[in-house]
Formats: sequence, structure tokens, C-alpha cells
Amino acid sequence: MGPLMRFVPFGEAALLIEFEQRIDPEIHQQVVSFANYLDRRKMEGIQYLIPAYTSITVGFDPLLWHFEDLAERLTRFAEKEWIDLDSDMTPPISVPVCYDPEFALDLEDVTLQTGLTLDQIIKLHTQNIYRVYMLGFLPGFAYLGRVDERLRTHRKDNPRLEVPARSVALAGLQTAIYPSSAPGGWQVIGRTPVSVFDMHKSDPFLFEPGMRVQFYAIDRETFDGMSKGELDKTSEKAMHV
Amino acid sequence: MSDLIVEVIKPGLFSTLQDQGRMGFQAFGVPVSGALDRKSASLANWLVGNDRNQPVIEITVLGPELTFSSTGQLAITGADLHPLLNGKPIPQNQTVDFRAGSVLTFGKSCNGCRSYLAVGGEWKVERWLGSACAVPYTENLLASSRLEKEQMISIESRILEEKRSSEDNLVKKECTDIRILEGPEFSLFTDKALQNFLEVEHLISKDVNRMGMRLKTRIEFCGSTEMISSGVIPGTIQIARSGQPIILLADAQTTGGYPRIANVISVDMDLLAQCRPGDTVRFHLIKLQEAYDLLYDELNEAANTST
Repeated sequence: MGPLMRFVPFGEAALLIEFEQRIDPEIHQQVVSFANYLDRRKMEGIQYLIPAYTSITVGFDPLLWHFEDLAERLTRFAEKEWIDLDSDMTPPISVPVCYDPEFALDLEDVTLQTGLTLDQIIKLHTQNIYRVYMLGFLPGFAYLGRVDERLRTHRKDNPRLEVPARSVALAGLQTAIYPSSAPGGWQVIGRTPVSVFDMHKSDPFLFEPGMRVQFYAIDRETFDGMSKGELDKTSEKAMHV
Repeated sequence: MSDLIVEVIKPGLFSTLQDQGRMGFQAFGVPVSGALDRKSASLANWLVGNDRNQPVIEITVLGPELTFSSTGQLAITGADLHPLLNGKPIPQNQTVDFRAGSVLTFGKSCNGCRSYLAVGGEWKVERWLGSACAVPYTENLLASSRLEKEQMISIESRILEEKRSSEDNLVKKECTDIRILEGPEFSLFTDKALQNFLEVEHLISKDVNRMGMRLKTRIEFCGSTEMISSGVIPGTIQIARSGQPIILLADAQTTGGYPRIANVISVDMDLLAQCRPGDTVRFHLIKLQEAYDLLYDELNEAANTST
């Protein structure tokens, strides 16, 4: 038996594919492979896909598709061989994080909530290989999971009006990097010198659903050196624009 | 010939450049954006002979003050914000000529929420992923798409020999009727909650922006409070944890974790864009096939106006 899939109408120009409703890497791999499969087919009139934890939203041109016709087509696709289990075999992307107190804006709060020291927080945050479950909230904002149970935190009661760009933060059993400065309620524990979102690139986003990510700690000096490198790259690009 | 420069003397309450938006990047968290009242925006462009992908200025409740460096044509559609050219009232929904040095201002708003200003010609503005729309949630991306004092917009002006006009498409009522389709979590609500949702007049709260519109009613949700986040689209009506319905608009984020009780049909999104805080809306549940029929009717109508 293939994976469980349900097709649900979502307005007159979208269809929602629901997989088993459980946050699990295996179910998410089904989501990602089916989304990739649909992407590769380049079907006329399919305008966008939003893969999430256990669902894919398929946006379509209602002049070319009706919900029923599309559901029927997708049912036929679902019977084919499309699951790609290989993505777990590709090495994770390594992302440097500086946990310097100047960047770890919510260190005190996280320490209080978890009872952990900074060293323990760094150790736990860098040891897991995370999966990109979904992008949302901001352009390039990737929800990474899952975080070690001991690092579980709740969101801030009063969200910050501005979380600096490239902040690395925690919420529940998830972690993320703010692609640009924005208001937000996640607990900030560090900052990366790496740009996860660069609007001047032809491919502006570092992350996509299904990728695997691991963090490693860097000191302040390394951070400053790498940030300078990123800046140079940006100004170079800006000159070409 | 040098370009027409539109200079922003005052930006107004909230004025942005909008076009058809950017489609296809939702998987990366990029909202669709685009004019909230698409029909009015397309009409404004048609009235000055522009194709529908040229940007227009979406003006919210209080209009800006703009000057024009050379001659050209403009058209204003949507909400009636009493536009004045050099201090004299000008009609909406038709091509209007202006001379070099002309000043466009707006008076008191009396009807609707959003007005659209098109200027004939090729707009030389920054675009990202194919669109000039301001990118929501990010201050620094395409910042020039939010009008600010002293900003200059360059347009390679083009003049229509034969002016165009159109009927006012804005119909203002005490209570706006909005047609909806069942959302993915519709059946998770109790009959009582659904009855409440469909029968009451919903008052629009003051929390209205391009991302969404919060209503002042409370709809009870008895299902699991821990929903797994999933895709959301403009028109999705979510019920927040407090029970408050939120109608998502073009700048809404692409994923959400609240139950999606319904979706506003696309032809009624333009009506919604003209509702203001303090107005009321009533929802009417229709079948999917009806929504398709209404959409085809509208597209046929649009094809007839612009030929």
C-alpha cells in the first residue's frame, strides 16, 4: 500500500494534499518527494506548490483545471513510483553559529526555561541534524526540526519588534534563522554570518524543504571574518546589478 | 524625450506600488502580494493604455500628494478619495490629461478603502521575482515600493490619443455579502459554531492591513488546538485561538497553524478589499461549481470591457 493521501478542495484555485497528520521525517519525505515529482512534471496551469509538514498546497489556474480533474490526475500520479528516499543520504549543510552573548539576546530566558548552561545549550543545539520541514513566515524562513527535548522553550510573551537578520532562534522543538530583520517571538540564542536569503542572487534561498542542516559553533573573531566575507560578496554583487 | 518624474510630496496614509504580484515562490515563504482590488487596478491600467503588469499606486483611505514633471495621462479607480488635480476635482474611471508641474492631491474619503492610480507608460522601477510589489514583513526589500516623502518615480510616459472611460465598479452597501467555500477544517467545527459563523454579521475590527483582516466575532473551535502548520492562501479564513476569524489577504504569510474554516471565492476578494474597519460582512456558503461559474462569468465580462 502506498502512502496515505487525501485531496481536499481549498478555494477554487487550490487543492490541498493531506498526508498522515503526524510530524515525522518519513512522512515529510513523502511530502517532499511528491512535491518534487510534481515540480519535475511541469504541468501546465500548476502555479505553485507549498509543501509543509504533512501537506502540499497545489495552486492552479482555474481556467485550465477543475478541482475534480486535478484530484483525478494526482490520484493516478500517486500510484506511480515517486518516493525518493535518497535525500536522507546527501550530507547535511553545515551552518556556522556564533553564540556570543551579544547575539544570544534571549540567553537568560533560555537558561531559565531549560536549566542549561550556555555550553550545554551549544552542545545540544549543534549535535542534531535538522530537517527543513517548511518555509513560511518570511521569505526564506525555514522551520528546522527537531530540537532536542531538553532545549524545548516557549515563545516570548512579548514578541520583539525587531529580531536582527541572521539571528538563530528556538521555539518549541524547532529552530530557525531569521533571513531578514523582522518582528518575532522566538528565543534568540546566536547569529550566523551566513546569508540564508539574498534577494540579489538568481537563486535567493539557501534552504528548501527536505534539506538537512547541522550547526557548528564559531567564536566571535571567526564570525567577524566570515561576516566581512559575506559583505564583500554582497557589494561585489551590488556592483553588477 | 526625458522620462516623466512623479515626485512624492506626501506619501499619504499607506501607499504602495502594486501589480499582479509574484506567483510561484510560496514554497520559499514569499507571499503573492499584488493589488488587493485587482479589478480596479487592472481597470486603472486599461484606462491609460497600460498592460496589466505595469505597477499602479494602491492608495489606502488617505491619499498622497504627487507632482508630475511633464505632461501625461492618469486614471484613478476604486475607492472614491476625492482626487484633485491642481486643486480642481477630477473624475474617476476615465483617462485624465495632466500638464508639466501638475499637482495631484486627495480630499476626504467617502466610499471604499483603496484607490488605484495608474499613469500611462513604462514604469522604471525596481522589481524582484518579476514584481514591483513591496515585500511584506521585510522593511529593506524593495523599500522603494512603499511611497515615501521626496521619492521619485520614473515613467517613460505614453499618451493615448483616444481617451477611455468606464462605469464605476464600486458598489457600496451597509453590509457586504461575501461568498465562501468550505475550508479544509470546516467539518471540524460544530454545527452550532458554523451556524453562528454563517448567520451573524461580522464587524471588521481596526486590525486591517494588506496581510489580513480581523473580524470582531468569536467562533468556537472544539477540535485539537495543536494543528500542524500547513499552506494558507489569500482568501483563507482562519479561526485564531481566541476564536477570532482572520481573513487572509494578498500579503499574508504562506503557512499558518490555525484551522481554516473557509475560503473567500476569488471574485469576491475585490469587494473585501474595499471594506473598512467598522464595516460589516456576511458570509454565504456556496458550492465549488458555483464558484467556477462565477469566475468564468467575471472573466468573460472583463474580456468584453477591455476590447
